[in-house]
Amino acid sequence: MPATPQLSPQEEQEKLLEEAIGVVKNQAFQMKRCLDKGKLMDGLKHASTMLGELRTSLLSPKSYYELYMAISDELRHLEMYLVEEFQKGRKVADLYELVQYAGNIVPRLYLLITVGVVYIKSNELSRRDILKDLVEMCRGVQHPLRGLFLRNYLLQCTKNVLPDNNDDATGGENESGNVQDSVDFIQLNFAEMNKLWVRMQHQGHSRDRERREQERRELRILVGTNLVRLSQLECIDMERFKKNVLPGVLEQVVNCKDPISQEYLMECVIQVFPDDNHLQCLSAFLRACADLHPNVNVKNIIIALIDRLASFAQSEEGNGIPSDIQLFDIFSQQIAQVIQNRPDMPPEDIVALQVALMNLALKCYPDKVEYVDKVLETTEDIFNRLNLDHLEHGAAVSKELMKLMKIPIDTYNSILTVLELQHFGAMFEYFDYKGRKLMSCFIINNILENETCIPTQEQVDLILNIVNCLVQDQNDQPEEIDDPEDFAEEQGLMGRFIHLLYSEDPNQQFLILNMARKHFGSGGDQRIKFTLPPIVFAACRLANRYVDLKEEDENWEKKCQKIFQFVHQTIGALIKAELAEIPLRLFLQGAVTAGGIEFENHETVAYEFMSQAFSIYEEEISDSKAQLAAITLIIATLEQMSCFGEENHEPLRTQCALAASKLLKKPDQCRGVSICSHLFWSGKNSKGEEMRDGKRVSDCLKKGLKIANQCMDSSVQVQLFVELLNHYIYFFEKGCDQISIQVLNQIITKIQEHLPNLEANEETDQINKHFKNTVEHLQMKKEIGDTEVSFAGLTI
Amino acid sequence: MLVLVLGDLHIPHRCNSVPSRFKKLLVPGKIQHILCTGNLCTKESFDYLKTLASDVHVVRGDFDENMNYPEQKVVTVGQFRIGLCHGHQVVPWGDNESLAMVQRQLDVDILISGHTHKFEAFEHEGKFYINPGSATGSYNPLDSSVVPSFVILDIQQSTVVAYVYKLVNNDVKVERIEYRKS
Repeated sequence: MPATPQLSPQEEQEKLLEEAIGVVKNQAFQMKRCLDKGKLMDGLKHASTMLGELRTSLLSPKSYYELYMAISDELRHLEMYLVEEFQKGRKVADLYELVQYAGNIVPRLYLLITVGVVYIKSNELSRRDILKDLVEMCRGVQHPLRGLFLRNYLLQCTKNVLPDNNDDATGGENESGNVQDSVDFIQLNFAEMNKLWVRMQHQGHSRDRERREQERRELRILVGTNLVRLSQLECIDMERFKKNVLPGVLEQVVNCKDPISQEYLMECVIQVFPDDNHLQCLSAFLRACADLHPNVNVKNIIIALIDRLASFAQSEEGNGIPSDIQLFDIFSQQIAQVIQNRPDMPPEDIVALQVALMNLALKCYPDKVEYVDKVLETTEDIFNRLNLDHLEHGAAVSKELMKLMKIPIDTYNSILTVLELQHFGAMFEYFDYKGRKLMSCFIINNILENETCIPTQEQVDLILNIVNCLVQDQNDQPEEIDDPEDFAEEQGLMGRFIHLLYSEDPNQQFLILNMARKHFGSGGDQRIKFTLPPIVFAACRLANRYVDLKEEDENWEKKCQKIFQFVHQTIGALIKAELAEIPLRLFLQGAVTAGGIEFENHETVAYEFMSQAFSIYEEEISDSKAQLAAITLIIATLEQMSCFGEENHEPLRTQCALAASKLLKKPDQCRGVSICSHLFWSGKNSKGEEMRDGKRVSDCLKKGLKIANQCMDSSVQVQLFVELLNHYIYFFEKGCDQISIQVLNQIITKIQEHLPNLEANEETDQINKHFKNTVEHLQMKKEIGDTEVSFAGLTI
Repeated sequence: MLVLVLGDLHIPHRCNSVPSRFKKLLVPGKIQHILCTGNLCTKESFDYLKTLASDVHVVRGDFDENMNYPEQKVVTVGQFRIGLCHGHQVVPWGDNESLAMVQRQLDVDILISGHTHKFEAFEHEGKFYINPGSATGSYNPLDSSVVPSFVILDIQQSTVVAYVYKLVNNDVKVERIEYRKS
């Protein structure tokens, strides 16, 4: 015997559906032919057979839906025919009786609905009774799938005939009914459909649960349509909605105790009814939320409502939230109730609710900082109650809490407003090290982007306590050190941030810097390298501000003195951290700053700073290249300064000359002493007069020549000669009478002798060009005949 | 050919950032080369320049810790040899004749230097000298009135047009200076 091929469940469904549709097409064809011929009774018989297909229990909800759609299409022909017939004068009442005798209940009820609606259309007076009749009779089908579609058919057919007026119906006078009849009708249908839908959950084997829930979700829109229809009734005013509509719906939802149903229907309620209605019935809705099944994700429902109301408050047509509705308080209380009713609610969901509440507070009440604070306080209380601490970075609850904390930062875009929140800083303690660090960087970046100035020492203290993990080592930080690049970037942020610690009042500014110094000073050797230099420069800038206040503040000199003590001590902290290059440069900057401000002690302070720079140079800088760079910088700085009397300038410039001549490498020595020559020419005394000591300039350059002569590398030697020639020319042009044309001629001759002996290479090429450019310069000077100095006798 | 010339940012030592008005002007894809006089101080500042153009040349300023930046550099753009040097090594600072010594040594048509935080552009003995000032207008103990500035060079054959952008009272002012190679 040939085995019948096994069909897959899907193929099976397709086959069944195909067969059923075949029958429907055939019967519909017959029905229409009979109707065309005016044989109504035969037509109804075929219609009944066609509808018989809907009695099946074999089809899946999806296939059943397709079958239902095909059949309801065909039923429209019947309806149209009947409408025409009745318009011609056929008696409707007879027919309504007649179809009640159809053999089977499913076809019978479909026919009854079809005829009933036609009856209403032809005679409005009977509307109220027929509607009541139909919705009651549908109870006859208790199979969930069949019942749901039957009632859906009822809802579709009555769509345009539901009474929607406020005519008083008392005394039974008004048989066409009013809007309350429609409400009753829909609510009964809704309740029945929901019961059928919920019952599906409890049918069949428990192993099919997942599939069954999937099927239920596919059918949910059938139930939800009832709510849509309710929302479409125009004559429901707020009073009626409050008293007769919403309570009934919510009661049904809560009492069904079915999570799938509750979750879907609550969201439906939020979606289909207008914002005003939600505002007026907020407490009722939220109370219902608190009573929902524990498995319902009530968080999503409340968030959906909050989001909707928050955007309503911000929309242009909405006039904001009416002042008599304490939106925030209501939500706040009801959410607390929801959380209390659900001891098993995961902490991330609790925080997510607070996120929604915070959004509501900020969108509906942007000025009420205390609401935001209240949310934070509540969150803190909950965390304490749940004993939550050190939330691991990446965990759901940590992510939600981060979201919560970022909202006020992003919304206010001013850390100063955030600081008004009493419970903001405390919440930082609940993150682990990584979480705190991310949040801290987020805050600092926000301050930098908005260029928010922090104008008092108290606020500086607050912020630096909050972002403490960027300021100093933490007890809970991991053993392994941070990636150096990340560390530098993060500390660079802090350095930039320091420039925003700014008050218009210089006295306050000094307090601010002291506060910053206190915090950052305990950052450890790695951090202070980034954070103390900005403090030093901020202090230098502050000292300059006092110059403009000379007239107003009689203590300005003492204050400057204090500032420079502060600067000195701050640079000292960097030396203790075994740094050399940065403190040396900072001392030089400090020296120039002090030298430029004429407070009482400025010369002494500047001298101290210069001598500190020298100490670092002598004791800490050993690399020969770094030494040349450092002494050059010291010389160049001293050359600029004009605060020293002879008694202080003399030791400094002598020290420079000595240090330059003691450099390790000959070429470095040569260059060092040549640069030193400037100190004796344009170096200035405290009156700003230049030294113009031609003798000492000449001595320096001669020493340079002597050292150059000692160089072994002939290429370097010629290079040094060319450089020295340029220095000689410089001072010659400046009118230094110790430098004669003969000296220039001698050096030029020397270079001309040596140059041809150099190996031909790129370096020699460069020296040649350097020399050629120098000679061209001299030629040009000679030709135009400079007025101050004479180039006569120059041999080029 | 557009060349951005800037330097002495001193972030984070002396400033929190490049002024936002400047940042809006400096957009990626318009500039071919960047010549920086140094004192970028951090890798972030260098990375920022890199977002504006891929060809970035930097010399070392007195507050740069990056030892890889050279003290001096020569870059050829079109017909011009351009010398780049921060200037803290050139004594006296910002002195024309001292800068001319560097120009002769590097054998360049244009010498760019910084350090004084003060914009300068002038011709001297047939050569062009540019100091773009400080792009952040950062603190200089010798000058209490630092104005943030940078320069864009438009180089066409033997002509350079320098546009200097200054931030005065939060308004960007632009000046134009032309130099022709002799």
